[in-house]
Amino acid sequence: MKVIVNLFGVEVRLKQEIFVEPASPALKDVLKGLKDQGVEQLERFIDDHLSPVGGSVILVNGRNFLSLDGWETRVHEGAELTFMVPVAGG
Amino acid sequence: MKGICGELLDIDLTSGKTKEIGISEETARKYLGGRGLGARLLYDLLPAKTDPLSPYNILIFLTGPFTGSMAPGSSKFVVVTKSPLTQGWCDSYSSGRISLEIKKAGYDGLVIRGRSNHPCYLQIGDKGVEIREADRIWGKDSFEAERTLKGLEGNASAGVSSIGPAGENLCSYACINSDFYRQAARGGVGTVMGYKRLKAIVAKGSKNCEFHDHKKVVELNRANYERAKVSQVFQARSKYGTPLTLNFTHTGGILPTKNFQFGTWEKALGKIDSVGVYKSVKSHRSCQSCFVHCSLITEAAEGKYKGTTLEGPEYETLGMFGSNLLIDSLPTVIQANVLCDKLGLDTISAGNVIGFAMECFEKGLLTAGQLDGLELNFGDDEACLAAIEMIAHRRGFGDILARGVREAASQIGGGSDRFAMQVKGLEFPAYDPRGAFGSGLSYAVSPRGACHRRAWPPAKEILGGVPPYTIEGKGEMIRDLYADNCIFHSLLVCDMPAKFIPLALDDYANYFEAVTGEAISQKDFQTMAGRTETLIRMFNNREGFTREDDTLPYRTLWEPLPDGPGKGQFIGEENLQRMIDDFYSCQGWDAAGIPTEATLQKYDLKKNE
Repeated sequence: MKVIVNLFGVEVRLKQEIFVEPASPALKDVLKGLKDQGVEQLERFIDDHLSPVGGSVILVNGRNFLSLDGWETRVHEGAELTFMVPVAGG
Repeated sequence: MKGICGELLDIDLTSGKTKEIGISEETARKYLGGRGLGARLLYDLLPAKTDPLSPYNILIFLTGPFTGSMAPGSSKFVVVTKSPLTQGWCDSYSSGRISLEIKKAGYDGLVIRGRSNHPCYLQIGDKGVEIREADRIWGKDSFEAERTLKGLEGNASAGVSSIGPAGENLCSYACINSDFYRQAARGGVGTVMGYKRLKAIVAKGSKNCEFHDHKKVVELNRANYERAKVSQVFQARSKYGTPLTLNFTHTGGILPTKNFQFGTWEKALGKIDSVGVYKSVKSHRSCQSCFVHCSLITEAAEGKYKGTTLEGPEYETLGMFGSNLLIDSLPTVIQANVLCDKLGLDTISAGNVIGFAMECFEKGLLTAGQLDGLELNFGDDEACLAAIEMIAHRRGFGDILARGVREAASQIGGGSDRFAMQVKGLEFPAYDPRGAFGSGLSYAVSPRGACHRRAWPPAKEILGGVPPYTIEGKGEMIRDLYADNCIFHSLLVCDMPAKFIPLALDDYANYFEAVTGEAISQKDFQTMAGRTETLIRMFNNREGFTREDDTLPYRTLWEPLPDGPGKGQFIGEENLQRMIDDFYSCQGWDAAGIPTEATLQKYDLKKNE
């Protein structure tokens, strides 16, 4: 499946199209697929145990996965996954 | 108590008389400084129902206990007054050299009353204040005024705060400009200064502020810098500044687009977001007393405005002059930002008002004939810049737009109030509450009107994983966020280091003890915040505000978001009322928004005092 990946951190990467073949559409499996692919800079946000690094945030189509179904959140074809450090404010 | 001077300088511009007002240690302990002390002073010193544009209104500049201490983010000051835009409470914050210089002159702040019979400026130093004629700088823009005054005083390190033509012309959302690119912008504090015919304040002191244990402050700074260095949040903020927020608000579906009709704008990406702005960054700087260098110095790289330089633009300006007007040209946003700074306009309100006028133009409620031939279309760079000039100089229809979006909608009619994005007369900042309902509650109950500085709910509702489109628990959430910011804004520290180093309240308690010599607990901080927010509510109630003023515009309540993750969402009247009930209850106020007897007792406040 194709997913769109954004990274908002010390480096900003927008709209990277990544093809993954997860064991299931659950977020945890899609993340594992992304980690296995060695997506550059992803280690700044997700460690090898798939835990967010330093309070990093994961958004699935703009929604925090914690306010969806957590690690079981279903990721669909073309979904946008955003990994960001919790930095914002105007 | 160290960290405060214990004196305010009271200046009457009508009579020319000045005096000193003492601040008791008890008052300093109960209100700390900044917002807290400002609430106490405005409530006590301003007669009820005073016309904001009359000699009886007062303009209060305040520092805080940390000012001059080198605690992170402590270069802030606040201007407190009754707002000509909302007719209610107003506190507006800025960084600037002037905060340090006022304190070095031996004062915690200024209380400015009356109205001069000719343009003037204040020269503040160790020996007090002189009121000087300002004929040479009246009519000049803020940058020129500051340059002239620094030259006149022969000291480039003086602190200067000034107004531009917008303040002189009593535009309702005029700002006060400091150090060229820093503004106390919201609520029309520059308008009150303009009414008083006060062009500028220049301060230069040479006294040493007394702090309890300066070595301890340095030690805390060292330790916190070590924490910051390894924080990705700190590194990202230091590199990209606030423009990174645009990527986040676009992704989260709360980016104001086309006068808050939409919540996302793909065209912004790579142009007016972190990526686009970063390409134009020439250097970074930090405020004095801060090691987070999150301020960007940019230069327009191409087009008609090539070479224009700016400290900024910040996220709010990118949102309000970029996506909100469908302008994807960074050089235009930089130019609009510089123009507003020079002319002395709040970029948030100006961008909001122009977006509203563009929608009126699109809907045929405003015509080019009414706008001196201006075709005010969304996305039109030239029209946007022309509108800024019209507003600041109150030329033609600019005179109506200069009164703020609420008044403009009332003049234009035709149902335009449904998309006049304001609360209590203060224009929305750059977050669409339909995509984060807590922001809707925060805007609605905010005493200064639609405000992103009481609370920043997206931190919870998007970053924190709290469900964004529900109302449960939002009253408590907003109460807690209000309290946190009230503590920061009373200590008068920037809320950024707290988030990005990060620092917790215990860290600020450590700084407080090092600076003042007095221990303070989290409970003490929370009590101060509750007392301050309640006193501000009492101020607005006294001025005639009621629960009915705690509301949201039609678009936010009833028009579904057409795009983004919150597609289909709107807040709805019943949801808003339930959140308000919840918030009032958490604050200890009754259903009408009036503090209960028990709450007054808890905070040692008196009814009708």
